[in-house]
Amino acid sequence: MNVHLNIIIAEPSVIVRTGIVSVLQQLNISNAKISEIEDAEQLRNILGRQKYDILIINPIISGFFSLQQIKKESINNEMKYIALQNSLIDNFVLKNYDEVISLYDSVEHIKEKINNLITVSEQAVSNESLTTREKEIIVCVIKGMTNKQIANELCVSMHTVISHRRNITTKLQIHSTAGLTIFAIVNKLVELDEIKNSQQR
Amino acid sequence: MSKLKIGKYKEADSMSNLICQNYPALLVLSRFEMKLGFKDKSIGEVCNENNVDTKTFLAIINLLLCDDINHDCSNYDLFAPSLILYLHNSHDYFVNYRLPDIREKLKNALTQELKDLNKAVLYYFDEYVSEVRKHMSYEEEIVFPYVRSLIEGKKKIKYNIGIFIKQHNQIEIKLTEFKNIMIKYYETESTNEINNVLFDIFNCESDLAVHNAVENKLFVPAIIEMELKKSGKKP
Repeated sequence: MNVHLNIIIAEPSVIVRTGIVSVLQQLNISNAKISEIEDAEQLRNILGRQKYDILIINPIISGFFSLQQIKKESINNEMKYIALQNSLIDNFVLKNYDEVISLYDSVEHIKEKINNLITVSEQAVSNESLTTREKEIIVCVIKGMTNKQIANELCVSMHTVISHRRNITTKLQIHSTAGLTIFAIVNKLVELDEIKNSQQR
Repeated sequence: MSKLKIGKYKEADSMSNLICQNYPALLVLSRFEMKLGFKDKSIGEVCNENNVDTKTFLAIINLLLCDDINHDCSNYDLFAPSLILYLHNSHDYFVNYRLPDIREKLKNALTQELKDLNKAVLYYFDEYVSEVRKHMSYEEEIVFPYVRSLIEGKKKIKYNIGIFIKQHNQIEIKLTEFKNIMIKYYETESTNEINNVLFDIFNCESDLAVHNAVENKLFVPAIIEMELKKSGKKP
């Protein structure tokens, strides 16, 4: 499964930040991309532009502008928020976070906490198997048909075709017609003869 | 004994140490048309002997190895042509050497029996190569001549680097997708040949990413500076 995990760490101290990165690396999370940010201003800029799955943040940073505001500005509504606790913080503040990691947590403990968060978000990702309709659409696409032609052929609206195509891309992580052709041949959705004309464009 | 190196590479560091510790740096050497066999000479000495601007060389090396974009190339009339030479040779490497070589290896590694599938695989690859060719020839034919005219201060070419920034895409993404499709769907014995071509694709992917980084993080900012200077917005 093609799950990428984008983690961003917001913590002013370079020593603490590097420590967290090192612990995360020890967890061997596959396909994880870890970014670091040191202040609130940078965080604000980047959350509006890029999609992250997990934000590990020192509550002191979010103190400058509330967690609610960060949530509002982030383009990913499903992002998980982990508070990085390195001093005594009021429970009232911490209860807004999805999880709390303390500076004194063991690697095992952190692993468990992150694992719980990821499993929840993974369930939200639909599985890879395609519906019959989606398979039909793939065949049309690789024959070189336009969205409009596909809509006419299958008696559905253009909007439906587009949303099916979006789902196909998400499930297969294949963005090109040439890539879909390979997928279709492997899965015996088509014979090469059928699509020859479109291939020789 | 070699000195202890902390942080970025500098002019006085040994060239052979640089290469032995970071073999991808070899690609930078060939793109600057530099000769091997440098004995104990420093990076600066080797660059001088080969008529390469040391600062540009170090800017690329430090971007490649430490993802460091702070360099001291303030003389853009020297920096920009050096970067163009580097990028031009890099284009030549991908289009005329690297990608054809991968295609040849790919063709030989495919399982004979999967005829239809092989055609689709090679079709994908060829389509990708022609995209790369188009991407790179745009830079060769439009962007580089424009930058040269900026340097020479000659007649105006109607262009600005903003146009390039808007349309410059990450050319390695489709190769990554190709590799993922092969790994996921191409059912075949795990042979030395198929491994070999996959290793090459992994390598080529990261080479292309570095190439893009040089364009976006060194070349483009330099041209922006030059444009600002020319328009008098910056001294």
